[in-house]
Parts: sequence; structure tokens; C-alpha cells
Amino acid sequence: MSQPSQTETSIYSPRPCRLLSVNKLTPQDKLFRLQLRDGSELQHQPGQFIQLSIPGLTDAPLSVASSPTRNGYFELGVRKAGILTSALHRLQPGEQVGIRGPFGRPFQLDDLRGKQLLLIAGGCGLAPLRSLIQYCQDRRDEFATVQIFYGARSPQDMLFQQDLSAWQTGGSFNCRYTVDKKPVDSCFDGETGLITNLLNDLQIDAANSCAVIVGPPTMYRPVISALRRLGLNSEKQIMVSLERQMRCGVGKCGHCTIEHLYCCQDGPIFWLEEVEHLRGAL
Amino acid sequence: MNATLTTCPYCGTGCNFYLLTNAHGKLRGIEPAGHHPTSRGQLCIKGWNAHAFVDHPERLTAPQIRTNGALQTSDWATALDLVHSRLTSLAEQHGQDSLMFLSSAKVSNEENYLLMKLARAGYRTNNIDHCARLCHSSTVTGLVETLGSGAMTNSLSCFDETELIFVIGSNTTEQHPLIGSRILQAVRRGAKLIVADSRKIRLAKHADQHLRHQNGSDVALLNGMMQQILQDGLEASDFINDRCENLAALKTSLAAYSPEYVAKITGILPEQLVTAARLFASVNKAMIIYAMGITQHSHGVDNVRAVSNLALLTGNLGRPGTGVNPLRGQNNVQGACDMGALPNVYSGYQKVSDPETREKFSTAWGVRLPETPGLMSTHAIEAAAAGRVRGMLILGENPLLSDANQALVEKALRNLEFLAVIDIFPTETAQLADVILPAACYAERDGSYTSTERRVQRGRKAVDPPGLALPDWQIICQLLRRCGLQADYAAPSEVMKEIAALTPIYGGIAYPRLEPNGLQWPCPSSDHPGTPILHSAGCTRGKGLFSPVAYRPAKELPDAAYPLFLNTGRSYFHWHTGSMTRRSHLLDREERAAFVEINPEDAQKLGIIERQLVRISSRRGAIRCRAQLTDKVPPGQVFIPFHFAEGAANALTNNALDPEAGIPEFKVCAVRVEPC
Amino acid sequence: MLKQLNYDNLLQLLETISTDYALQVPTLLADGTRLLANYGSGELSLTGPPLQRKPTSAFFPQTELLLTIDVEGQVHLPQPEKPVALFGLDRTDLAALTFLDRFFCAPPADDIYQRKRDRALIISLTGSAGPERSFLPLTEDNCDIEMSAVNGQYLALGHSELGQGFLDGFADGDPQQLEDLRRESAQQVSPAELLQQASRLLSEERVPDRFWKEIADKCILCSGCNLACPTCSCFGVQDRQSGHGTERSRVWDSCQLDAFMREASGHNPLGSEQLRTRRRIHHKLVADVERWGELGCVACGRCDRACPVGIGMLAVAEEIVRRFN
Ligand SMILES: Cc1cc2nc3c(=O)[nH]c(=O)nc-3n(C[C@H](O)[C@H](O)[C@H](O)COP(=O)(O)OP(=O)(O)OC[C@H]3O[C@@H](n4cnc5c(N)ncnc54)[C@H](O)[C@@H]3O)c2cc1C
Ligand code: SF4
Ligand code: SF4
Ligand code: SF4
Ligand code: FES
Repeated sequence: MSQPSQTETSIYSPRPCRLLSVNKLTPQDKLFRLQLRDGSELQHQPGQFIQLSIPGLTDAPLSVASSPTRNGYFELGVRKAGILTSALHRLQPGEQVGIRGPFGRPFQLDDLRGKQLLLIAGGCGLAPLRSLIQYCQDRRDEFATVQIFYGARSPQDMLFQQDLSAWQTGGSFNCRYTVDKKPVDSCFDGETGLITNLLNDLQIDAANSCAVIVGPPTMYRPVISALRRLGLNSEKQIMVSLERQMRCGVGKCGHCTIEHLYCCQDGPIFWLEEVEHLRGAL
Repeated sequence: MNATLTTCPYCGTGCNFYLLTNAHGKLRGIEPAGHHPTSRGQLCIKGWNAHAFVDHPERLTAPQIRTNGALQTSDWATALDLVHSRLTSLAEQHGQDSLMFLSSAKVSNEENYLLMKLARAGYRTNNIDHCARLCHSSTVTGLVETLGSGAMTNSLSCFDETELIFVIGSNTTEQHPLIGSRILQAVRRGAKLIVADSRKIRLAKHADQHLRHQNGSDVALLNGMMQQILQDGLEASDFINDRCENLAALKTSLAAYSPEYVAKITGILPEQLVTAARLFASVNKAMIIYAMGITQHSHGVDNVRAVSNLALLTGNLGRPGTGVNPLRGQNNVQGACDMGALPNVYSGYQKVSDPETREKFSTAWGVRLPETPGLMSTHAIEAAAAGRVRGMLILGENPLLSDANQALVEKALRNLEFLAVIDIFPTETAQLADVILPAACYAERDGSYTSTERRVQRGRKAVDPPGLALPDWQIICQLLRRCGLQADYAAPSEVMKEIAALTPIYGGIAYPRLEPNGLQWPCPSSDHPGTPILHSAGCTRGKGLFSPVAYRPAKELPDAAYPLFLNTGRSYFHWHTGSMTRRSHLLDREERAAFVEINPEDAQKLGIIERQLVRISSRRGAIRCRAQLTDKVPPGQVFIPFHFAEGAANALTNNALDPEAGIPEFKVCAVRVEPC
Repeated sequence: MLKQLNYDNLLQLLETISTDYALQVPTLLADGTRLLANYGSGELSLTGPPLQRKPTSAFFPQTELLLTIDVEGQVHLPQPEKPVALFGLDRTDLAALTFLDRFFCAPPADDIYQRKRDRALIISLTGSAGPERSFLPLTEDNCDIEMSAVNGQYLALGHSELGQGFLDGFADGDPQQLEDLRRESAQQVSPAELLQQASRLLSEERVPDRFWKEIADKCILCSGCNLACPTCSCFGVQDRQSGHGTERSRVWDSCQLDAFMREASGHNPLGSEQLRTRRRIHHKLVADVERWGELGCVACGRCDRACPVGIGMLAVAEEIVRRFN
């Protein structure tokens, strides 16, 4: 072990964070509320991610699921996917983790302001989108209409169910939810079928609309086609979030590249036209 | 940065590389030896990562003794005294042959020699063996009979001049990657390639002919090729007349193997057989390459005989670019055999049963030596399970994962009254030990290793062993002394002097002569340049012997209850039971967990999708792992690598043994696969 | 400031440097491998084939401790080491170093790399320093001292203040000699032309997918092409835990491996050997041009030598130009 040298830090040094609370979202997902141990704010923007570090298990990229407009904490919605995320799921409030970041290009708020927003999420994609939704909620007058579309495999796979109903009933947003399969005994009152079904019959002012898509890899192409049919054909109308395996978050390790782009730095949020033509992007 | 030249600890190819250490003497990387004849500036992924496990925090750093059921740290003297007294008292109570010694293809020649000396001279038993039993014992038995020497006849440089390469039962680009790459280069140069393998291995993509014969049908395939060659009159008559015997018997034995008959057994088309036979016989220089696909059968020795017959019949022996070329698996499995870590021979394949030889070793070591050949490792496991073997010393092996029929092995090891294990990591086997002795790994000790082309070359120390760990040779010397034997070697080079004096094929091997690139045995005298090609003037045994064999099916074939063939082996990224590779970041990341390869057709029938968890069972056990859908395996067959303790292929395999070589049938048994 | 050193002067210079620096010099090893190793650890080799191990590994080594996390969760950075001095880099070595400097120091700068690089002393070696004293073109830039062997002497040009400081007191060199060397250097043909052509064909989408399949079928996944390459910068991160805490290190990684981009779900954007082989070539010949304005390959030939099946960068570029031009 080397001697302590507290003064120096590196872009790879995690900052200590305390877990304030842990809440179950679904059987595989939990919501973690954290605070930097020195009490400072994370100072992120919606769409950015952090690298969460657990000693012995390196670190993993996780989107910040809460809005910077909410002070004193930040939240992560995490699916138990493998070694590190399983270890995280075992932690209790009061315990410590490390974080680096925030990293990455956020949602381009300047370009969204004043627009009619179509916020479209599939599965885990709701976690990063939630930070934007919360932001819209807190700064409602900065945006025109905001519509939220969310698709999940089944009602019990839906993340942030409390938030989903609050958004639906709160009056600020127009929300539509769908699941691939609805069990017979489910009290879910949303729709059944692919998320694209929600978009097909929309009436929108295409010229003044912007869409944001965050979801699993298979969701992008069909949703983009549906949006194109709705008339979102110009530049800066569709924003996508592209996730790749990320090790460093700072553009060095090379695991997150798409051709010449580094998702961790140039993304994870891109305008569609920046990546559409790149092989392997969508 | 400092650079220390050494030999790769993984496969038998024998690549050399530099271990790079930083200013603090810590291992930080690997650089291939640029001018070594095998590596030539290149390595496979395991070689490039061979430094990674060396300083792993799970290395064993102190001797441990089991007290009241739990392993507790001890000191060397206490641990060694205990090992010696327990082995001695078991021998006194139940006879010397109640002890078994397992040596290792991972340790040096010197260490293998010393361990066999310890077993024979120290504890007076010939019960010593090592994992060659599980890989090439069929080769040693078969080729000694037909040619007189059980090693690869030719050299790796022969790939540069051969006209045809026939690869049977060797996934060379994955298991001997830098030999596989030479085959690909030969193909690029224009050499022909025939691949006989049920799996669609990488080499098959480059082959002129890919014969997907069913596992275990090799004798039929090879006999069929030979029959066709005779039929076409393409045999090498001059070579046969001058240098071989017993052709008539071979001819008789082959008569039944018509292309149609062979097609029925192997599953290939009659035309494929005819084309392959004609192609093989059409060239002047052909190399036959084989590995576990030939040897790991209950008829492994017969497979080897058939290979040898084919080479003799076509005169492909004793010249550059030809030969019978078994690829030895471990980096020193050739050496461990050469050093006599086998129950029936001393170093240099000198027979224990021969009184003159015994006398020679007796005189040199100053003790009377046991006369009857000892137990093979596979038989020793059975004997331990039955309570006839009671004490065991295992050096650098993990039989609990590597031997066939895990349930039996576990029973055997638990049944032992005393088990001592020398290892570098707390392996599954070590967990069962009464005493664990921590050893230095390849990067921490000097020694010599013998590669598959019989190249004896140096391993060199680059870093210190962790904690109290000691080089294996020093540990064995401590036990030799406790047995009252002389063991005051200052260094492995002095052990090599003793080996050279007692072992004709190593007679001219001495450390200074191994600089920089080693020597190929036989090297009988200090002025002998070594022997790149065996049997060039005549066979070691005199005439090459045609040894007729008949096709015998595998011991267990698929049936209604267990409808699929199970094939087992290694994957490219891992080594055997994974104790090193699973502790190397990149290799571990590449394959983290057990998997089964299954053909999409079978998967569809069974309702299995990619990455699904499945249960695989045989008559001996059951495991769970993830399915990998691939047409690499033919329909009707599944393949499981044996690296993973959590999905141990050897819980399923059949320990049906070859009657002569005692090798288990790792390559064929019957299983059932179900979604779970 | 141009100086001239004879052999003894050169040794004297190296000796001086080695007191304050961890000096690495071209060294001839037992089997004939030539690479940079600790000064004094082996035979100093002033002529010969290119250095086998990429000199950039001094700043981006195969395994490197990033930080340690103690049992309390406190993070510690490794103690600074003695600064590094490298002697013997040729033109492609320096081009690769320039490339890697820009990559790691682009914001946010990789401080682990930068900390070592900022304090380093770099001395090139060109002129009659190739195999059998054949001519190596001059280096010009990104070094502290440019050293060129000519007629058994060494012309030394200090480029930085640091470099000039070390040259103080040696005899002056003949500028005409330097001019001659420069002229000779300008005449050397560079394989970069081939790479430019291949780059163009690739960016014009003239190379079909079946070509990548054909190349990928030969690849035995040794990762040597990446590990040998002086401009490859990809790394994985490894944690090792012991009683004292956790050591977090980075290790060289390879985009030729399936798990390089494989995600926890099994999804893999580079999920076939064919895509990964394309990535290896495309990255350096097209993506890097897009991002940094120049090729990511300095044509050093290391990957071609490390590749056991003959599909290194130059071999593939040649094939592309031969078939698709
Ligand atoms: C920008 C970004 C934001 C993300 N946000 C969230 C989020 O908010 N909530 C959430 O549940 N998940 C999120 N993920 C996915 C999450 O990072 C992975 O599930 C996680 O890394 C799996 O780690 P593990 O150790 O548990 O899995 P293991 O399979 O044990 O880890 C395998 C290795 O691959 C890496 N890895 C595996 N899958 C992924 C992946 N999909 N993306 C990146 N690296 C991967 C891991 O870092 C790890 O080193 C995000 C990914 C990215 C790239
Ligand atoms: S081919 Fe074998 S000897 Fe060579 S580097 Fe790979 S594992 Fe080591
Ligand atoms: S020639 Fe190969 S090793 Fe050298 S810079 Fe180009 S890609 Fe890298
Ligand atoms: S060096 Fe050659 S064989 Fe090895 S990974 Fe690279 S391309 Fe493949
Ligand atoms: S995550 Fe490391 S480069 Fe993007």
C-alpha cells in the first residue's frame, strides 16, 4: 500500500457517497438515494451518468435518475444485472459507495425549451429519462406540452410506478403506458402492445416537437420510424441515448466507442442525425 | 523495466517470452521472445496474459494444516514433518503401495524427476503418475509399440515445408494456438489441409476437406482411408519394404473397411473418405497432427495405432515435413513423462521391470527399489475409493475438476486417510487436503521444461515467491532428506546433471547448453546437437510396426434416456481447471461461467434459447449452465469445457478406461439436456 | 544547439541522465530481442531492428496501478516514481508518442499518464542506427534530444530546454551534417502512402463485409496486434482485494475480444469476429482521421510482426488496396 496522499486526486478517484435510502421498484430494480459525503451537490444535468464504484468490483455506469432541481441528494434506479449491481442491491442505507462523475453529454435542454416534448422510454430507459421528467415538472413553464410514453415487458416490470401514476394524475403531463403482456388478474389500466402503438395515432405539431428516446437497443429503429411518420424529419428533433459498456467514463478506455465517437464523452445523449449513419450505432 | 526470458506456463507449444518487472520487482507484463524459433515475436492470448495471475492475492503464502476440520496456518518444518510422518506410518501399516504420488505437468523436469525419486527411493513405491494419464498415455503406449518412442516425431519448423497437414482430433488454433497459426500459414503458402473433427473448428474453415466424423469413430475413418490407399495402390511400397513390418496382417485387418461401411460408422459420405484418402496419399510430405480427440477414448491406444499405421503406410516418417505428431497439452507434460513421473518407467522411459535399469537407479540413489510397476492415476483413484490407497501427495494438480467422473474422485479423495497438496492456489482439490504446501509459480523459480517438439528449454525466475512459498524442488528436497536421502542440490541445474547421468535421451542436456533456445531430445551426449526429427535413419524400435486395429464403439452411446453425445475439452481462454486463467482479468472476463455448446436444431427441439440456463445430466451426475447455440457442434452432440467448478463437465464424463493406457473416455458419453 | 558526441561522450551522457532518471535504453536480450530496458541491465544496442516492445509502454504500461482504496474507503494514489528517460526512439516511435500524448491529455486529461509524461526525458536515435547501420530518417519533434548516428559519431540536437541542459559542455556539431541527414530523410518512402489509400477506400465504403469475414476467419484472437501497437490505448480495469484494501489497476485490453463490448444482458455491439476485425482497421484508418485529423497508425509494423497469422495492419491495408482500388 502506498502512503496516503490526500491532496492529489485523479480522474479515476471515486468520491465517497452515503446511501440515504433504498427502495424496491420491481423484483429486479431498486431506487437508491445518495448524497456525497462532503455534503456537496452532484451538480449534474439530466441525462448524465456517474460511475459507481464498489471496492473489489471496479465501477459501472449508472444514469442519474433524479433532477438537479431537487437538492440534497441524487437518485439511481438500478437493475440487478450482474456482479456489481447485485452487490449494490445488497447494500443498506447508511453504507458507503464511491462515485465518479457526473459524466457525459446531457439532454440538450436549450434545444428542448419551448418545444412540445415527446419523452419515450422503454424498460430501464426510464431511469435516465426520469431526471428529465422531474426537471420538466420543476420547470414546467420552460416547455410546451410534455407527453410521456413508457413501455415495459409487464406491469410488474414497470419502474417508478408511484411516479408514473403521479405524472399521470398530476395534470402537468400527458402520459401513456403500455406493456407487452398483461396478466389476466392485473389491475394495470394502461395499454397492451409495443410502444410504437402509442405513437401511431398521435396528433402533434411536428414542426414544434422534439422527441427523446431512451430504451433497449431493439426499441430505437421502430420508434424512430414512427416519429418520422409523425413528421419529425428535421435536424435536432430526435434525441437518443446510446449506452455502451463503459469502464472509465472519461473517453480513455475505449470500450464505449461507436466508430469515431466515444459514448461516454460525446454521448450518451446524441441527436439522431449525429449517429444515424454510423455503423452499429442503432 | 527488467526482462527475464522464460517458457510459457500454459500449453505444450513451448513459446518463450520475457517477464517484465518494474522498479519494485513487480511483474507488469509480457513481451514475446522475438527470435525464439517457436514464438518468433508472437504469443497467444494466454501467453500475453501469463503474468496476470502471478501476484494474485489468493496465492497460497504459508503451509496449512487441517486441525479439527479446519485448515490452519503453520510453518514449514511442522508441515513437512507431518507429511513425512503420516506417509511413513501409512506405509508401515498398510504397505508402501498404499501411497500414491501425483506429479504435475506444470512443474519443471527437475521437479518431476525429484518427485519420482521421492516416490521410488524415498517411499519405495512405483505408485507415481501425473495428468499425462488423462491426455497422452495412449500416445506413449501406442507409439512406443509401433515406433519405439512416444513423442512427437517431427518439429514445428516442419510446418514450413510440408505439403499436406492432416489434423485429426485437435482444435489446434485454440489449444496450441501458435501451432494452429503455423498451420494457417502453411495453408497460405499452398499446403493442403484435411481436418477430421466433428466440431466446426477454425481450421475447418480453411480446410480442403472437413470430415465431421462422429466422436469415437476414428479407427473406422483411418482404417477406411488406409483401405482406400491400398485399393488405389498409393501406399509407399519402398518405404514399407525397407522400414516396416507386419503389412500382411494390416492388410487383412483393413479388408472390411469399405467407404460404405466406414460411412455408416462415421457419418461422413463415402466420397469424402475416398477423396481424403487420395489427397493424403498424393503428396510426398504429409504431417499428421493429433491431440485429445484421438487419445481420450476407451480405445485411445487403438486410435494412436491407426494414426501410426497411416503414416507408415504412406512413408510419412523420418523426413522433414512429415511425421506422427501428437500435440502435448501442458507446457511440461512431455517433460513429466520423460522424467518418469509414470508408474512403469524411470526417466527416459527406462522400464522399472528391467533388472539392469533398476540396478542402475538403485546404485545411483543408494537404496533398493520396488520392482512391480505402480498404479496409474486413474486406477489409484479407484483404489482410493475402495480404501486400498490411503495416503496421497498431489503436486500441482486439481483432479477433483480434471478427472473423469467427479463423484468418484471426490469419494476417493475424501476416503483418503491423508492427503497432502502442493499448489499455488487454494484449488478445489486443496480444499480437501490435510496439509497444503505453498509453492512458487513458474515465474518465481528456475527449471527446465520440455515442449511438445521435445525441446528442453529453460524457465527462469523473475520475481520472488509470495510469503513463505517455496519452489517445488526445494519442497521435495526437504521430504527427500526426511527420507534419509541425499538432496543437497544447490540449484535445479545440479538436478539436471543427475538426470543427464541416468537418462540416455537427456545425456547431453546441461543448463549452459540450453541457452538461448533449448535442445531437442534425444540428445545423448554433450556434443550432440539434439534431434529435430525422430526415426530418420530407422525407427527407434528398429522396424516400424503395423499394428492392426478394429473399430470398437465408445463405451457409452446415446440412447433414449440420454439421447445426446457429450464432447468435452478446453476453451481458448481458459486453462484446465481455471486456477490461473480465472484469476487473470482479461481471460476471466472473456468467459466467466460454464456454458454448453448446442446445435440450434437440437436447441429448437428442446425449446432452448440462447443464454438460457439448462440442466445437463448423465448417468453419473448433473450440472447447470448456460446454453450457447452454435453450429460449431453437429446436431446430436453437445460440447462443454471443463474449466468451471460451478458447471463441472467432469461431473458427467465417463471414467470408462482404455484397457492398456488407463485413459478415460472424456470425448464420448451420453447426456440429456433440459431447460431449467 | 547542435552538439557532437563520440561513443564515450554518449555513455557519459547516459550515465549522467541515469542518476536522476529511470533511464531505459535499447538493449539486446538473450534470444536477440531488442527493446528498451533498464540502463545497465543488459547489452546496450545502438543499431538494429525497431524496438520490439512499444516505447509508449513506459507511460501506458501493460498493468498499472491507478489507485488503492483502503479498508476505510479512503482513496490513495500511487507514490510518484522516479521520472522516466527513454533513449532510442525512432521516427514512428515518436509519432506514436505524439498520438498517445494527444489522446490521453485531451480533456479531461488522464492525470495518471500525464504525471509520468510531463516529467519524462525523451531522446531519439536515428541516422545509421537501423539494422546493420542502415539509415533511419530523422525525427524532428516531440523529443528533448534528437540523436543521430553518423560516421560513428552522434549528432545531438537539443529541442527542449531540458534536453539542451544535458548537452551543455559537449563539442559543437556540424550543421551541414544535419542538413545532409535531413535531406536523406526526406527521400525515404513511407508506408503511410499505402495506409492513406486504404483509408480512402474504407471511407468510401469500397470494402465489402465479406472481406472482413475472410480476414476474421484467420484471426486466432491472440490480441497481439493491439498489445503490440504503440497507438492502441484501450484498457480494462481490474480490482484486487486483500486484507489491506483494494488495488485498482488498468490493464491493456483488446478490441478483438468478444467481451470487450459485451454488456451484462449479452447484447454486444461488436458481437462478431468480422465486426471486430473491421473495427481494428477502421478505427485507425477512418475513425481516428475523423476524430483527430490524422491516421491512428504510424506504420511501425509491430502488429504485423506480432500477428501469428499475417493479418496485421500493413498486410490488411495492402490487401485492401490490391483488391478494391
Ligand atoms: C451510460 C449508461 C447508463 C446506465 N444507466 C443505468 C441505470 O440507470 N440503471 C441500470 O440499472 N443500469 C444502467 N446501465 C447499465 C449498467 O451499467 C449495467 O447493468 C452494469 O454495468 C452491469 O454491471 P454488473 O457488474 O452488475 O454486471 P456484470 O455483467 O457482472 O459486469 C460485466 C462488466 O461489463 C460492464 N457492463 C455490462 N453491461 C453493461 C452495460 N449495459 N453497459 C455498460 N457496461 C456494462 C460492467 O461494467 C462490468 O464491468 C447504464 C449503462 C450505461 C452505459
Ligand atoms: S501457444 Fe501455448 S505456449 Fe504459446 S503462448 Fe499460447 S499457451 Fe503459451
Ligand atoms: S503498424 Fe500496427 S502496431 Fe504500428 S501503429 Fe500501425 S496499427 Fe499500430
Ligand atoms: S494479432 Fe492477428 S491473430 Fe492476433 S488478434 Fe490480432 S489479427 Fe487476430
Ligand atoms: S467509457 Fe471509457 S472511453 Fe468511454
